[in-house]
Amino acid sequence: MLRVKELALSYGTTPVLEGVSLEVPTGKFVSLVGPSGSGKSSLLRAVIGLEKPLAGNVTGDFDAGEIGILFQDDALLPWRDAEQNVALGLRLKGVDQGSALATARQWLTRLGLYGLSERWPRQLSGGQRKRVALAQVLAREPKLLLMDEPFASLDAIVRARVTGDLVRLVEQRGISVLLVTHDLEEALALSDTIYLLSHGPRAQIAGRYDVTLPRPRDPMTVRTHPDFAPLLARLWADLSREVGGRAA
Amino acid sequence: MNKRLPVLLRQAAGLAAIVAFWQWAAAAGHLNPLYMPAPSSVAAVLIELFVGGTIWPHLIATFSAALGGLVIGLGVGSALGVAAALTPYLGELLEPVMIGLNAVPRVVLAPLFVIWFGIGLGSKVALAVILVSVLVFFTVFTGIRGVDRRLVERVTTLGGGWRDLLREVYLPSVTAWVLGNLKVAVGFAFTGAVVGEFVASTKGLGYLLSFAQSNYNSALMIALIVLIMGFVLLIFALTGWLERRLLRWRG
Repeated sequence: MLRVKELALSYGTTPVLEGVSLEVPTGKFVSLVGPSGSGKSSLLRAVIGLEKPLAGNVTGDFDAGEIGILFQDDALLPWRDAEQNVALGLRLKGVDQGSALATARQWLTRLGLYGLSERWPRQLSGGQRKRVALAQVLAREPKLLLMDEPFASLDAIVRARVTGDLVRLVEQRGISVLLVTHDLEEALALSDTIYLLSHGPRAQIAGRYDVTLPRPRDPMTVRTHPDFAPLLARLWADLSREVGGRAA
Repeated sequence: MNKRLPVLLRQAAGLAAIVAFWQWAAAAGHLNPLYMPAPSSVAAVLIELFVGGTIWPHLIATFSAALGGLVIGLGVGSALGVAAALTPYLGELLEPVMIGLNAVPRVVLAPLFVIWFGIGLGSKVALAVILVSVLVFFTVFTGIRGVDRRLVERVTTLGGGWRDLLREVYLPSVTAWVLGNLKVAVGFAFTGAVVGEFVASTKGLGYLLSFAQSNYNSALMIALIVLIMGFVLLIFALTGWLERRLLRWRG
């Protein structure tokens, strides 16, 4: 369980978040959506510890080593090949080099990158780099995964495939997830709960939506489920209100 | 290689044409041999230097000073650059000193170094070190300050401490920047060694140049210039190879 309680954050004198509370129950997929610039990414950075909140706290039953983080940028070390990049995540957790490389290769294969282990990041496509970054995070067997629009830069087909693989692994392993996204359909297709952040400054949680679509879920086919469209329409209406009716 | 070959051939043909023209002009009496001896005379001097064995102690002296200065300068410049970039207080102190050193043509320090370190190898190495280390300092200092923050955050969020950051992010970045500037550093190291020898010494290519100048021996001077150029180009080729090998990830 990850619990964010009454979190307030500002950049200098500019207030960003005020009194934000949310929960990520163990094994659940939670998304945070909201207007651009509302402070979604800042909230995630505060949860990670990259930003220092003015007030409130973040608690959870996870060690730092049990949290996996995935940003929009894959941020692979350009001077390490694919398997060394994946192994880095394990080595920094104290795993010895030999075991780390062996595990890295297994994860690369699992994520469809068999035969690409020794490629430099520059030799990989955007989707492949994203899979390497995902392997780097998942190989550490996190209990909590924090993601900030991790697949936003990918084209639709690659994005659907990588997302599908991610959902399968998260469901199989019971990983708790907090995803920041601006894509309402993606949030609905993946999540158990969605939080809507209000318009900034001083953004707050403006709504909470429980998604009862069946699991295991295929993020593509779940969109045809009869409950999907009404929920999406509700979310869309609420988000539109938040951005002052300019969303359409 | 196939694409480069015609370019290399054209460049070689251009050089050969210039040398041939020079030889012809000298043979036809258009050039005063006191000022501009024929290429054949320069070649004869070069051959004599090697066959007679006169050149070796001078070559060894210059190479020792230049390579010694290069290695020490790379080490000192990198270490100071890393320390200044990662320790703000040290950066505040070091940056103006380095800017000051960078503002003057550092070869003016040569006479002072002769007083401080004598006319032996020490003053030449010192001049090469000061030339190389200031260049490397700025390369590393500005490079580390501009290091990709996303990589730093990535290693940090994976649980890495400052040692991991140094090993996984800063040192590879520094290596890339230093290797990118290695050719300039090699040129600086030889400048330091030769200028140092030129000012005061008993051996080295700079000393031979000074000797040739005092004897109005243009052929020897041109031969020495060609020789220095040849060796520096050889080292450039080696550094190019090293760069390609160590920076394969760049492609």
